[in-house]
Amino acid sequence: MDEPCLLELEGLVVSRGTRSVLNDINFKLREGEVVALVGPNGSGKTTFIESCTGTIPFMKGSLSYYSNTNDKTVIRNKDGRNSNIPQIGLTLQNDGICGEETVEEKLLSVLNIDEEDKNTHLIDSILSDWGLYHRKSNRVSQLSGGLKRRLSVLSGLCPAIFSPQPIVILLDEPSEGLDDEACNILTNWIRTISSRGNGIIFTSHDRDLINCADRIIKLEENKPIIESLGKSSGTIVTMVESEAFTKQISAKSLVNWSIKMELRNPIDTISRLTPALVTLLVSFSLIGNINYETIDTQIISLLVLLPAFITCIISPALIDRFNEADCGKWWYINLGTKFRPISSFIGASLILPLPLTYLSWIILIGDKSELYSNDVVTWLWLPALCMLDLAIASSALHFLVSDLQRSRASSASLLLIFLVWPFLELSEALSSIMANGMSFSLELGSPLISCLFASLISSLVWLVAVFLPDA
Amino acid sequence: MPDYKPVSLALILLGLFGSSISILLGFIWVPGINPESVQQGSAESYRILFWHVSFAWCSFLAFLMLFVGSILWYLKNDEFGWRLFSTGSDMGLLFGFGVITSGPIWGSVAWGKPWDWGDLRLNSFALLTAVALFLVLSRKSQPDTNQTRDTLSIIGLFGFFLVPITAVATTLYNRRHPPIIIIEGEDTGLPDDWKMVLIFSFVSFGLMFIGISLLNDMVNQLESKTEKYQRVIDRGED
Repeated sequence: MDEPCLLELEGLVVSRGTRSVLNDINFKLREGEVVALVGPNGSGKTTFIESCTGTIPFMKGSLSYYSNTNDKTVIRNKDGRNSNIPQIGLTLQNDGICGEETVEEKLLSVLNIDEEDKNTHLIDSILSDWGLYHRKSNRVSQLSGGLKRRLSVLSGLCPAIFSPQPIVILLDEPSEGLDDEACNILTNWIRTISSRGNGIIFTSHDRDLINCADRIIKLEENKPIIESLGKSSGTIVTMVESEAFTKQISAKSLVNWSIKMELRNPIDTISRLTPALVTLLVSFSLIGNINYETIDTQIISLLVLLPAFITCIISPALIDRFNEADCGKWWYINLGTKFRPISSFIGASLILPLPLTYLSWIILIGDKSELYSNDVVTWLWLPALCMLDLAIASSALHFLVSDLQRSRASSASLLLIFLVWPFLELSEALSSIMANGMSFSLELGSPLISCLFASLISSLVWLVAVFLPDA
Repeated sequence: MPDYKPVSLALILLGLFGSSISILLGFIWVPGINPESVQQGSAESYRILFWHVSFAWCSFLAFLMLFVGSILWYLKNDEFGWRLFSTGSDMGLLFGFGVITSGPIWGSVAWGKPWDWGDLRLNSFALLTAVALFLVLSRKSQPDTNQTRDTLSIIGLFGFFLVPITAVATTLYNRRHPPIIIIEGEDTGLPDDWKMVLIFSFVSFGLMFIGISLLNDMVNQLESKTEKYQRVIDRGED
């Protein structure tokens, strides 16, 4: 074939532990080509698809994508990730959709367009083609397994319909869970989309679907790949025609998506607020009848900041949303290296620490505030604001641990002990303000330096947790 | 794969014997301290020092091994690096646990309380042990893939970043933890008989450390070999 290349794997070796899953793979996907990956379970089909997304480490070899001007960009090689992939269509084996989002929202996210966009009516048309229009406003959690799979497959295919240039489509077991009618639609769509110049790679055990490929690659563990020609069967169907409008998924899409999910089901806010309020009430009952003059200001400051600290270190609900059906993996593949820093910000408790600290001061200290410096109320925001750094660092640590395949089986709390340091520093800052008033001195132990030290430690944790995994 | 079992068992037994002797010498040979200088508890408790310091030195070796392993795996996906990482995390947990259990006994004598939350050196050591515990538990609970190894080696590097912070923190925030007393200085330094027992204890712990490390590495390699054979059986090959 002389069609321009879209994607290339050169000398690829991918291991799982000491086992090589993919060994010396050389592969090119050209415009308009449909490639089926076949092979027994554990032969590396899903690893092949993941390798094409540039998200898994390579022992050897490289992954490159080509632009429409035929410029080659190396995405990943054995030294790590060099760059993010261009826009692709992607269907994961586990769907990659959070149950909280609606059918329409999923497609809007995939195409990166707003609900007000003039092209949204086209979405209705493609939803109708796949028998999903009547479910447009339903949450994905309300769909049956088959309908959910239809949506997942459609999400993988539709960027190709509206993309201004040919793109790569990666589909992992797309026919799994689909009925005969949907499989037929899928086969025809694959042929139609490839006829527009898009390159498609899919994995499958389904003989009918495999027949629609132009090329079949058989993978077997520790054996060279075997290539054969496919039957290219399938019919080119009429599809919505429109000016290209889809654009690459951006950081803004993830921010909007996560805000929407939280507003719909504020599980993050509730799961952070409840233990913080319980802590506050327990602290109140503990020190309620004690003579405040006899208590060290450091202990009072610890208790005042404790509820905010607790909200900061709780695991973000965003992680649970990401873990649902590999939804986070879908975002990670599409956003690349931007995914971690953004997730650590939007997953952190950014709203609660400040009001909680003031609430804590009012409840715990109340009318005894005359025992302490008048500066406290004016400057209480300073340690509370620095607590946001701690919240972002905590969120980054949680996201780092969530990278593990069985993250629930790991004790992330052991790593969070690290954040006790900045917390102690902040309590020392508040204690100093309570005892001596606000000081702008830059001596060791002054409120400003303690806050700075707390922020520095938090920032270091954040930097390590966010940048090392993708370096 | 060489069979280190006899050598490592001999080293462990020798180390155990030596460390028992060192604590015995600590009781019967090294002079006691002035009971009036003790804030709380028995003055005899200070003798835990002969184990505490050796535990601490060995755990630093373990953490060094862990960090070198983390860096080697993170940068080069080096299999030897992963072996260092695995053994370093196991040894870090074992000896780190020794430090944070023996330390409070000494702390009770010297400061009148077992733990000082304001002391960053103390806390950082506990954190290093917590990191080691996390790594050991995660290594056992996660599938052994390159992604798992990447993530765990990054977490191992956390400890690497902890060390300079700890050093700075110790200098800036030296509160209750005693200064380094092994090195001679104006206010520090140890009597010769203390020093001798301490060195003897460290050598014994060192032998034990080497023995357990070799044995641990051998077990890890055998596990990996078993896994390889199991996969051959999975594929139905002879």
